[in-house]
Amino acid sequence: MSQYGTGYGASGSDGGGPEYDTHGRYGGYGRDGEYRTQAGQDDYQDHAAIRLAADHAADHAADHAADHAADHAADHAADHAAGFGGSRRGAPVVTFENVSKHYGRLRAVDGLTLDLRAGETVALLGPNGAGKSTSLDMLLALRKPTIGRIRMFGDEPHHAVKSGRVGAMLQSGGLMPEVTVRELVELVTKLHPNPEPVATTLKRAGIAQFADQRVDRLSGGQTQRVRFALAICGKSELIVLDEPTAAMDVETRRLFWNSMKEEVAQGRTLLFATHYLEEADQAADRILVINRGRLLADGTPAEIKERAGAKRLSLRLDQVDEPFLLGLPGLVNLEVRRHVVQIQSRDSDATLYAILDAGYRPREIEVTSLGLEQAFLAITAEDDAANGHAYAGETN
Amino acid sequence: MAGTLALTKAELRRLVHNKRYFIFTVAFPVVLYLLIARSVTKTAYGVSFGGYYMIAMAMFGAFSGALNGNAQRISQEKKEGWIRQLRLTPLPANAYVVTKVLVSFATTVPAIVIVLLLGRFYGNVHLPGWEWPVIGVTIWFGATIFAALAVAVGYRFPPDQVQPVTLTVYFIFAIIGGLWFPVGGFLESIGKFTPTYEAVKIGTDVIQGGSVPVGLPIGLVIWLGIFVALATVAVRSTAETV
Repeated sequence: MSQYGTGYGASGSDGGGPEYDTHGRYGGYGRDGEYRTQAGQDDYQDHAAIRLAADHAADHAADHAADHAADHAADHAADHAAGFGGSRRGAPVVTFENVSKHYGRLRAVDGLTLDLRAGETVALLGPNGAGKSTSLDMLLALRKPTIGRIRMFGDEPHHAVKSGRVGAMLQSGGLMPEVTVRELVELVTKLHPNPEPVATTLKRAGIAQFADQRVDRLSGGQTQRVRFALAICGKSELIVLDEPTAAMDVETRRLFWNSMKEEVAQGRTLLFATHYLEEADQAADRILVINRGRLLADGTPAEIKERAGAKRLSLRLDQVDEPFLLGLPGLVNLEVRRHVVQIQSRDSDATLYAILDAGYRPREIEVTSLGLEQAFLAITAEDDAANGHAYAGETN
Repeated sequence: MAGTLALTKAELRRLVHNKRYFIFTVAFPVVLYLLIARSVTKTAYGVSFGGYYMIAMAMFGAFSGALNGNAQRISQEKKEGWIRQLRLTPLPANAYVVTKVLVSFATTVPAIVIVLLLGRFYGNVHLPGWEWPVIGVTIWFGATIFAALAVAVGYRFPPDQVQPVTLTVYFIFAIIGGLWFPVGGFLESIGKFTPTYEAVKIGTDVIQGGSVPVGLPIGLVIWLGIFVALATVAVRSTAETV
């Protein structure tokens, strides 16, 4: 449960918090974004892990069917203040029906079912190798699903791509060398049935100032913005971006999301894959968490955090009764270090009341919200534990 | 189609800046022709050496232009993801390959025109007016079919393997096809099946008397079929990795 390996580029701000590090046993995010845990596992962590695994196994079948539907209903009811797509929702733009992609024995994508609706801003979140890129490739008709069906605007993805209704930027997409940025954007603009003016695209992508430079002489961040320009140079209804801000520095990233905001404000649907959780949290009004090719969670950032047991309760008890603590309502994870108890809870109020009702008078009570980062790690680690895989961290 | 033409125009614009292309397709045959055409007094394939060598060098420049540069570029552009990027645009799926072939129609022209002009004004090749376009078009066709082979090689091999593969093909077709020197005996008995030999022989037969064995143009068309088939298989089988 606790061996998360290397972290996901944590910003540090909503990481584990340095105060916990002093207790030694509790893992936290260091400044370098690495998740650290003590090597020694205590019984309670193991217990908790087993509980999670059991919970998860029981839930698992239902997870994909009932839970999904329930999540979805909740999703529609929930207010979408988080992302910049707001709450505009329309016709299905993309549907995946039980889509799998197998490479020999490897299941890169395994029974993915989801739909995107017009006007949504959706983040596809997962560690490297989770199946994000393969899913996007299939969506964009670059690869064919082994099983299942994908529809874009109610039609074969291929048709949507050829009719210019989708603009895309992939990590693996290259640029034509030996031409200037402007020439390249002009070329791709000409290919669109419904083009944006070239000047508008250059401005929106923030590449006007180096439009006359040669494409093969740009920095990584500049190249990334040119690719983005190629994704938005037509008036596409859906924009698909795979790790759009990779290779961008902080300032460029901010500019990027600002221009993205303008795109979405025009009513476009946006699907982006990322492993920057901060971006998913801030930009998306819906997050799809995938791990090892399967959809683990689907909801607003708030729902995802809640689902993972997104509050941490820290308190000091003079007498620690471990079996009692393990039976607390809402408990997801428990760690005890002498008299300091750390509880990760789905319902921190209920957990705290139960402790008080049992006659305890804990001191130094702290309740902190876990960020999306921890929620994500908890969800994927749960999944890995349930499937008997140690989470290996990022694998490139 | 408008999109394909836009891409073709962009490709041609790139090519104008490409020095390598001019060295291989134009400079090489021109220099060789200037050095050698007048210093050999024998005849070849029944015509003056200057006449034979004009056709051979025009073919040499044009076919290396269609093969070498294209294969390398296609492989590089596949690796870098440009082909993939194009597949995300409304361009038809085959547009990239069609463009490469269309561009080759143009890139083989300078070598042919320049070497034929050299033949006329430096190599003392005097022909009836109608024979010039017949020879030019034959070489042009014979060379451009190598664009299809370049597509096959470029899709099939990564950039670091393209060079040895194309050089092998290039040397085989240049040498046993009789582009560097006229072939006879055993070499000709194999070489006569190559498209390079067929194109050159059509040319020299036209100079000689205007009667061309029907097997030669048929041979060229068969090679076109073979190269297109190889290209089709290479493009289809790599569809998911592009």
